[in-house]
Amino acid sequence: MIELYHVSKRYPGGQIGLSDVSLSIPRGQMVFLTGASGSGKSTFLKMIYREEVPTEGQILVNGRNLAALPAKKIPYLRRTIGVVFQEFRLIARKTVFENISYLPRILGMDSARQRKLAYDTLRRVGLAHRINAFPLSLSGGERQRVAIARALINEPEILLADEPTGNLDPELSEEILHLLLEVNLRGTTVILATHDRALIDRVGHRVLTLDQGKLAEDRELPPGIVPNMRAGAASAPGGDAAPEPDAALESDAAPGPTTALPAEAGGTS
Amino acid sequence: MNLAQALAYFLREAVVGLARGWKTSLLAVMTIGFSLFLSGIFLLVSINLGSMVDAWRNESRIMVYLEADSDAADLARVADLIESMPWVRAARPVQAEEARERFIAAYPSMADLLEGWDQDPLPASVAVEPDWPAVNATTLANATTTWREDPAVSSVDDDRDWLAQLEVVTTMLRGLATVVGGALLITAVFTIASVIRLAAHQHRDEITVLRLVGATEFYIRGPFYAEGTIQGTLGGLGAVGALAASFIALQRRFGDGLLGSLVASQFLNPTLLVALVALGAAAGLAGAILSLGREKADSARAAAGWGSEE
Repeated sequence: MIELYHVSKRYPGGQIGLSDVSLSIPRGQMVFLTGASGSGKSTFLKMIYREEVPTEGQILVNGRNLAALPAKKIPYLRRTIGVVFQEFRLIARKTVFENISYLPRILGMDSARQRKLAYDTLRRVGLAHRINAFPLSLSGGERQRVAIARALINEPEILLADEPTGNLDPELSEEILHLLLEVNLRGTTVILATHDRALIDRVGHRVLTLDQGKLAEDRELPPGIVPNMRAGAASAPGGDAAPEPDAALESDAAPGPTTALPAEAGGTS
Repeated sequence: MNLAQALAYFLREAVVGLARGWKTSLLAVMTIGFSLFLSGIFLLVSINLGSMVDAWRNESRIMVYLEADSDAADLARVADLIESMPWVRAARPVQAEEARERFIAAYPSMADLLEGWDQDPLPASVAVEPDWPAVNATTLANATTTWREDPAVSSVDDDRDWLAQLEVVTTMLRGLATVVGGALLITAVFTIASVIRLAAHQHRDEITVLRLVGATEFYIRGPFYAEGTIQGTLGGLGAVGALAASFIALQRRFGDGLLGSLVASQFLNPTLLVALVALGAAAGLAGAILSLGREKADSARAAAGWGSEE
């Protein structure tokens, strides 16, 4: 549960990030955050993973008051929140496996468990066969799926996506969107910031509209697109027909996944 | 991740970092090594000079010369007076005749210098052997003043002034070692800070991701702290190695000569050697801490301006 009470954020120099925003996001909800550039979408997300603190008001995430959270506790909060950015933020000199295994390594998992977890998570996003690849050898959509895998590897309670489709063409955007909808169907709260109103109208769910830092609109649209869960993927990570980890780890040549979506043919808002 | 795992990770990452940026790391190691080497040289000279002064002091005597017209009774009285001092180990009276005989025995070719005098040119004297560790400068000064006031005493010679000057030189050398070594060490700390900051800057993208996924500051900074400490330790070890090599070379070149005695009769003791290496490690760690103090702001700026990896 995410709760904001009269949250305002003013940056040094007087620029307003958010202005008196109050709302509540229940656990497991899919939320679109929209608004023009500079409307406060990124500030909103940054506050939830405690990159920013409000100048006024309170933010509670699962009952924890983030403004009062000591700095040394922030890492532990972030382990429960996955964050995806428009520009992917992958480390070019590291492999896909290394890029998504930061948190398992921080948690002290042995390398075999890290490998297994990475494989399972990559299979969720359809990239198990690219585990040894480097980011620069991936397409934009694949890179974003790696970034999503990094965010998902610790089964976060909340997934924040800041313009995750901003650098992608419409087809890849749909792919990423459906991946996020799948994640939400598993019970993760997903907050997706985008300025693509057409996409929102087509997908539905709850839509928060920010305008110059103020919450201008909070409306519920009926769900439009229903993600096509890959066979078995919703019930157990790695439950699809991808090759076994050892085989996949050895090769980058295996065929990629498909995220064929009914909505691509007939999705409605 | 437990502490042992974390330390192993820090060391692994630090070694990778050192290997990756070996040129800049070598610069840092050499800077700290040079500053510690120079400090060690000053320390070596001051310790050897101090030992030499101590040895000379232990071997030195005070000579109390009597007036030419003094007699055997005066000599015995003055000797008794001197020997009554608790810090005097021995006070041996030397008759004028005995002094003459000893001079002739020591310098037979100059024996004719003693001929033709109305009186003995070498007066009777008392050779005083102080118990040096038990006597301080003030006590000795007071005693010699008292002796000089005795009507039978002509003069009192001792090596204190000369030894005191040598002690001043030793103290100055130690001070110079502290000042020069300290200044160079500060330079080395800033060099290491710059090297670590450069390494952190090169890894700012990864640091940003680490913060994002929930790494603690200890986990993020640990490898850099380890890198600085390793650089400092290597610098310290290099300095100790260079000091040992210099010491051996000086011993071979100058042996028992004055220069050899000044710098190459006694090497630094193990405690001092360990202290030099520890000082290097501490300087390296200090440099890393100094550099990472501003790293978070740099990393935040990097996150704000992060573009595509392409």
